[in-house]
Amino acid sequence: MTKKIAMILTCVTLSACASQNAAITESGSQVHTRHMQTRVYDTLDRQDTLRSVLATLQDLGFVIDTADYEMATITATKLQEYRIRMTVTVRDRDDSRLAVRANAQFNDQAIEDPHAYQDFFTVLDKAMFLTMHKVD
Amino acid sequence: MPRDVFRLPESSMAVRSMQTRVYTASDDTAVMSASAAALQDMGYAIDEVEHALGVISASKRADATNQMQAFGSLTLDSMKCAFSFFLACDGKNYGEIDDVQDIRLTLISMPQQGDDVAVRITIQKMIYDKRGRLSAQATVTDPDVYDAMFAKLSKAVFLEVEGI
Repeated sequence: MTKKIAMILTCVTLSACASQNAAITESGSQVHTRHMQTRVYDTLDRQDTLRSVLATLQDLGFVIDTADYEMATITATKLQEYRIRMTVTVRDRDDSRLAVRANAQFNDQAIEDPHAYQDFFTVLDKAMFLTMHKVD
Repeated sequence: MPRDVFRLPESSMAVRSMQTRVYTASDDTAVMSASAAALQDMGYAIDEVEHALGVISASKRADATNQMQAFGSLTLDSMKCAFSFFLACDGKNYGEIDDVQDIRLTLISMPQQGDDVAVRITIQKMIYDKRGRLSAQATVTDPDVYDAMFAKLSKAVFLEVEGI
């Protein structure tokens, strides 16, 4: 009887570990996820693009956790009744364009709603225009 | 998830204006140095600096107790304790009052046309109760806070730029 209980407990513990570990590498469709999280801009000015991302994040109420120009990566957090953590990266897409990718978590859940990313890029589009044209 | 988390509220221009000041300085390094010094004056620790992007992030822990809230909670706990003939003296209400707050902010300096440098600050706070539980978190939107912070910053920038 004791052996049986020990076996059941082991199974329960192992399956709990397995389901916790699954979260480490879980993702949706990689192609779909990348597509909705990425927007390409006709510029090679990495600094202005990153400054536009910063302006967008501040407009949306984020505080910057980390910002690295060399790695072109910015991570920021927004606190309301909820918590959103977002990372934005900028990479060369080809010899005349940059790709901006954003991924975010709402509380403990990855944001997978394409409309949320569309909204973010709509604000970024405006900031890119203002930064590139140096408009206040 | 609320639908509007990545949408600009109608008040965004007013908020941006409240959080921004423009200084005349030949380079943004002087403005960043002065800003870091002003933040240190206010007791902040600098968590992140990225000079190429004009970013400074800083934080500090501060007292968040409110005397009125503490008095009310102690009174409630005492009444509960007395009316239960000392069976419910758990101090629950006092345990739920605000104790400390973590304040974190980002300051970004952005060169403008000519010799102007715009500085924008965003501030958040997380409040914890006496039991150490998070009781509230929010973005600070009180204009007086930003006015007070920029008053100190403006003085620091003036001293830095003038080399005093």
